[in-house]
Amino acid sequence: MHTYMNDPIEVTVDFFGHRIRPREVRWSNRRYPLQCVNLVHGALEGAKRIFYFSVSDKTNFMKLRFDTETLEWRLVEIYTD
Amino acid sequence: MPILMHIDFNSYFASVEQQANPFLRGKAIAVGGKGKGLGGSTRSVVATASREAKARGVKTAMSTWEAKKICPELIILPGDPQKYSDITNRLITICTKYADQLEQFSTDEVFLDVTQSAQDYFGATLLAQTIRAELKAACGSACTASIGVAPNKLVAKLASESVKPNGLTVVLPENVAAFVATRPLKEFCGIGRQTERALETMGATSVATLRAISREQLVARFKSHGAWLSNAAHGKDNTPLAVDAPAKSIGHSYTFPANLLTKHDVWKNLLALSDRVASRMQHGYVVGFRVNAFVRYGDFSQMGGDKLFKEPLRDGLGIAKSAWSILLPNIDYARGVRLIGVTVSALQKNSVPPSLFRKTEKMHSVLGALNTIQKRFGQHAWQRATTAGTMLLERTSGWHYDHELAA
Repeated sequence: MHTYMNDPIEVTVDFFGHRIRPREVRWSNRRYPLQCVNLVHGALEGAKRIFYFSVSDKTNFMKLRFDTETLEWRLVEIYTD
Repeated sequence: MPILMHIDFNSYFASVEQQANPFLRGKAIAVGGKGKGLGGSTRSVVATASREAKARGVKTAMSTWEAKKICPELIILPGDPQKYSDITNRLITICTKYADQLEQFSTDEVFLDVTQSAQDYFGATLLAQTIRAELKAACGSACTASIGVAPNKLVAKLASESVKPNGLTVVLPENVAAFVATRPLKEFCGIGRQTERALETMGATSVATLRAISREQLVARFKSHGAWLSNAAHGKDNTPLAVDAPAKSIGHSYTFPANLLTKHDVWKNLLALSDRVASRMQHGYVVGFRVNAFVRYGDFSQMGGDKLFKEPLRDGLGIAKSAWSILLPNIDYARGVRLIGVTVSALQKNSVPPSLFRKTEKMHSVLGALNTIQKRFGQHAWQRATTAGTMLLERTSGWHYDHELAA
C-alpha cells in the first residue's frame, strides 16, 4: 500500500567523498536499517535544491526528501506490500 | 552515408518507478497522466504501463478506469515528473559524450548522429553497448533502453522498436529494404491511425502492398506526404536531426476532474491555463501573434477556433482575453466543459517593444518581477486572485515538464 506523507525524520548517513548514502531512518520512535538505495534524484523548488532518496529495507520502500537549504529530512512516501 | 542511432527507454515512467521501488518490480503497474493527487482518477489516462501490465492488455493513453477493468490487480501510480526529468538528463548527458549531434525526440527518446565518432557500423555497435552499460550504471538495472542503428532516422527508429525490451538492432545500408519490409505500417513514425486507414482503403496493409502503389497515386491521395510514404516504403528518409529546433507553438490543455458549468469557472481556469502558457513563452523569450482556443464538452464534442492578432501577446491576461474572445460567442455552459485548451503560435523570438501606454509598461515590469520571483521560489510562488481555487496538476507526460519552467 502506498502512503504519501510529509513527516520529519532522522536519518543516519555514510559519507563517500561528496556523496551521502542513507543508512538508517528513525521515524515514529522506530528504527529502520536500510538495505538498498535504489535511486537518487534531484529537484529544484525555485532556487532551492532538494534531493530525493528512494530507499528500501526488507519490507518497506521509503522516499526521503533532503532539503539542502534547511538540512532537514522528511519521509514523503512509504510503500509496503 | 550517415550512421544514426535511436535510443528509446522501455516503458519509461513505469521502469523508473520500478527502479525506485523494488517491490513494484514484476508487478503490473501504470503511471497516470497527471501528478500526485489524480493517479487513480477516472479522468486520468495511462501515461506508461509496465511490461507486466502491457502483457495483460493495458496500453498507453488508455483511461485508467478502462485499464483497471482489464487488469484489476493494476497498481496505478501518480507520476513524478521531477524524477523522470532527472533520468532524462542522465540519458542526455551520457549520449552527448558520444554523439556528433543529438536530437531529443521526446522525454525518453533521442536520435544521435554517430557518423564521425563511430566511423563504421562495428564502431556504432560498440558505442551502443557502451551507452547501454553507462545507462545501467547511471539509472539502474530496471531502466532499460532499446537501441536501433541505421543509415537514417526512419529506419533507426524502426530498428529500436523491433526488439523490446533492451534490444540492439543494427541495420546495415544494404539490408534496409529487406528490414523495412518486415515491419508493420503502424510502427512507422509518420503513419498514424488516419493514414493507416486511408492506406487500407487503397489496399496497402503492409510494406509490400504499399510498395505496389505508385508514387503518383500516393501523391494524388496524400499530397507531399504521399512522396514521403513512397520513400518510407523503401526505407528512404533524408530528414536531418532537428538540433535546437525552435518551438512553432506553445500550448496547454487540461481535462478537469469534474465538468465546469459556469462562465466564472471557465474564465478562471482559462486564465490559469493562459498563465502557464505565458510562463512557458517567457521562459523561451518569445511572443506570439496567433491564439487558438478550444473546449471539449462532457459529451466529447468540441468547439473552438483561432485568431491572428496585430499586437504581440506574452502575458497570461492578454492570452486569456484573446482566447475568451474566441470562445465566448459560442460556448454552451449547460453541456459542461470537460477540457480547455489554449495555444499561442506565430511565435517570434523577440522582446515586446516599449508601449506608449503607462499601464501596459507597468504591467510589463510587474511581469518581469513575477518571473524573477518564480525563478527563486518555484512555479507556485504566485497566483492571480481570480484563479484562486483552480488547481492544475503537473503533467507526467510530455518533455517540457511544468517544473522546468521555473528553473
